[in-house]
Amino acid sequence: MDSAAGSRPETMEVPFPAAKLGMWWFLASEIMVFGGALASFILLRLVGQEWAGDIEHNNVLLGSINTLILLTSSFTIVEVMAAQKAGDEDKFGKYMKVTIGLGVLFLVIKGVEYSTHIHEGLLPDKSMFWAFYFGMTGLHALHVIAGIIANISLLVVVSKPGGLKRFGHRAEYCGLYWHFVDVVWIFLFPLLYLG
Amino acid sequence: MSAAENHGPKNIVIWAYLVVLAIVSVLVSRVLPPPIDMVVVIGLSIAKAVLVLTYFMHLRSENMFIHSLFYVPLALVVILFFGFMPDINHWLY
Repeated sequence: MDSAAGSRPETMEVPFPAAKLGMWWFLASEIMVFGGALASFILLRLVGQEWAGDIEHNNVLLGSINTLILLTSSFTIVEVMAAQKAGDEDKFGKYMKVTIGLGVLFLVIKGVEYSTHIHEGLLPDKSMFWAFYFGMTGLHALHVIAGIIANISLLVVVSKPGGLKRFGHRAEYCGLYWHFVDVVWIFLFPLLYLG
Repeated sequence: MSAAENHGPKNIVIWAYLVVLAIVSVLVSRVLPPPIDMVVVIGLSIAKAVLVLTYFMHLRSENMFIHSLFYVPLALVVILFFGFMPDINHWLY
């Protein structure tokens, strides 16, 4: 017979799924990573007046298109979550494919921008601005790739018989991550393109 | 979907607001002189982030523990920013 001091609860009840908690914990760490990078950039930008010339090399049109792409993908992944709650497998698949496609399109445009910069000799060692630019957008792009992989994985498991019922709830966790990626770009775009 | 999530504007309306704010940000950066333009643009970015966090991520309807997971690191970043400010002032002058 266990004493009160030695007894353990069979379960630890929390008011939300452990996966949601885990995702928010992860996003908390991401806030520190990107927040720290953005804070450092802003602080150095305050003294780096010559950065205005570097920013001129960024294509505002392509950056704006990428912003609209990510904002739209945030909308489409919310529709994925709505489809999951409604049990609509067709709508789930359709909007998830659009979300994935928009993510890929974002990376393609980013690749075009990178190739243009590299062709012009604007590399990370050129100046502090370009070090930050490639560092922050590169880290962001890696996160976009990870999000695309997660979304594709979810699409694959949900597309199997009974998949929506068993795994569809994971759309919320993928959605949380994808929205965070969007929020990071919401701040990266004005600092790196409009500043 | 919780009751809090059921009430409020539709997702397409929020998306429209986000797109409009994004377009306004670009226009503001072209019209206003520095540094006012960046102050306004960052303010618009904060507004967009709040819309995504509130209506797409449903942060408002989450419990206090989830809230703390968002606000505590954010507060730490703000402290980091202002903590390093004196060093920047040293560089400026």
